[in-house]
Amino acid sequence: MQPVVHFRNVNKYYGSSLAVDNLDLAIEPGQFVTLLGPSGCGKSTTLRMLGGFETPTSGEIFLDGQEISRLPPNKRNVNIVFQDYALFPHLNVRRNVAFGLELKGMASDAIHKRTMELLSLVKLTDFAERMPGQLSGGQRQRVALMRALAPNPNVLLLDEPLSALDAKLRQQMQIELKSIQKTTGKTFIFVTHDQEEALTMSDVVVVMNAGRIEQMGDPHTLYAKPRSRFVANFIGETNFIEGKLKAVDGGLAAIEWNDSVVHANLNGHNPAVGSTVAAALRPEAISVLSQKPTNTIAVSGRITQSIFKGDHTSLTVSLANGQSLVAQLDPVALSAVTGDDVWLTWRESDAVVLAD
Amino acid sequence: MRSYFSDFPKTALQASYWLFVIYLLLPLALMMAISFKDANFVAFPIDKWTLKWYAQVLQDKQFLEACAYSIFIALMTTMFATIVGVWIALLITTEGMIARSVIFALACLPAVVPGLINAISMRIFIRVLDIPTGTGAIILGHTVHAVPFVVIMVLTRLRSMPNNLVDAARDLGADSFVAFMRVTLPYLAPALAGGMVFCVLTSIDDFVRTFFLGGYQTTLPMLIFAKVQGGMSPEINAMATLVLIVTAAVGLYAEHLTRRSRTR
Repeated sequence: MQPVVHFRNVNKYYGSSLAVDNLDLAIEPGQFVTLLGPSGCGKSTTLRMLGGFETPTSGEIFLDGQEISRLPPNKRNVNIVFQDYALFPHLNVRRNVAFGLELKGMASDAIHKRTMELLSLVKLTDFAERMPGQLSGGQRQRVALMRALAPNPNVLLLDEPLSALDAKLRQQMQIELKSIQKTTGKTFIFVTHDQEEALTMSDVVVVMNAGRIEQMGDPHTLYAKPRSRFVANFIGETNFIEGKLKAVDGGLAAIEWNDSVVHANLNGHNPAVGSTVAAALRPEAISVLSQKPTNTIAVSGRITQSIFKGDHTSLTVSLANGQSLVAQLDPVALSAVTGDDVWLTWRESDAVVLAD
Repeated sequence: MRSYFSDFPKTALQASYWLFVIYLLLPLALMMAISFKDANFVAFPIDKWTLKWYAQVLQDKQFLEACAYSIFIALMTTMFATIVGVWIALLITTEGMIARSVIFALACLPAVVPGLINAISMRIFIRVLDIPTGTGAIILGHTVHAVPFVVIMVLTRLRSMPNNLVDAARDLGADSFVAFMRVTLPYLAPALAGGMVFCVLTSIDDFVRTFFLGGYQTTLPMLIFAKVQGGMSPEINAMATLVLIVTAAVGLYAEHLTRRSRTR
């Protein structure tokens, strides 16, 4: 399938500082794609280059096979939902949504019909004659979304549109956005620094750092098999297990970790035996036991900190080998308090070796 | 509410305020009162009241012509000053524009140059360029004076405008001209309305520039000046009262508009 959006060797400099570094990115049509990364990683610049508000210093951007990197924003069939919505304050909700349609020279009957259809999609028909200033944050968000969808763009760009909403509303909007994306079948490119947002909504997450793509994949793969320390650290909580690679057996690595030896999934990497490697291990992949299990490798330690998080308790366990691990305790399975001695174990494939 | 002079007695503060109000309004009130006096002398007491001075003024062809001429000049001035003022304000807010503060300072200069100096220099200027005194010259002089007010009001409004409104318009298919007409200009509307009313009022009020640049046709302030030189009469009071009421109404309306622009 031809990608709907294709960045090819795109570089963007601001003065002498590199914002986007040789970006190569192909996006399949109909997907919900998230560009995820810390501020300054180049995700917004990437989005603005696609929208036409920045010009790449070098490289090409294709939209539906057409090179568009030098076209002005009004000549591109993409629309943006801006971070603070950018609703026109002098136009009511209906006229805001109709703005793009009017510029397309559509007949006014058709504009009205389409506008009302879109507003009913987000249950805002009763608010059609209100001014943006009279709406709540969530309502403005929906209007901005419908205004951007109205001209029927190939690709919808969303620039951290949920960051101004409170936590509850944000979760609600995540689900709503995802379902709108499904119903319309459009390609959504969503920019955020919030990993939870990215995991919740996306078909594909593109993790960016320092202007480059760190890893790209579906949320599950990214979470379970982070390729680098940056990705493992940025998405979710992680324990790092660092040590000398003792042996490689099939897809598994045996890592000498102080006095213990632990196994980890090689994850497609090919480090030399004897070199120092790091593996990532999610806290929830660790089982906390009160007694030493008989059939698997386990490490023992003492709980030094216990933080109640509602659905689970986060434990910091100091191990006999001098290291410490963060684990999640399922309060239904075991009740443990600070000072208790416990055994930690995990499936070998849940620890994954990182590239660096 | 902050209180700056909490250790002063409240009544003293209030009293001094009301004294100031009386000082402000009493002359105007006296002027208005005399305009209803049924006698030829401008003096108190008023024994008999009448509206005849108003009837006389409203039938005075000279007065009506001067009004029409002043309004015409004011409207032309407003039109030119608005176009130039908005253009300068846009120039100042354009990103990457060099010497923005210089442009701003130059644009505001006519507001602080004394009217007399301004008028004399304009007079010399039009002499050099061989422009005749009269309507064109007056409009030119008034426009120079009015531009800074438009610039300042529009600039204030422009600076409060979110950057991405124009981006959003461009994104939805507007070229830069359409984006300006459909987003920037409507956003500026309250400031424009306020600025335009201000232009009209300063132009109608202007005496010095008109005096140096005018031709044979008299504007309203020139007419009143000429009449006063011919001796005070309640008729002048009636004229002045009419002008006062109309300009106060327009001025208050403009204040209302700009206040709305600040809160919206």
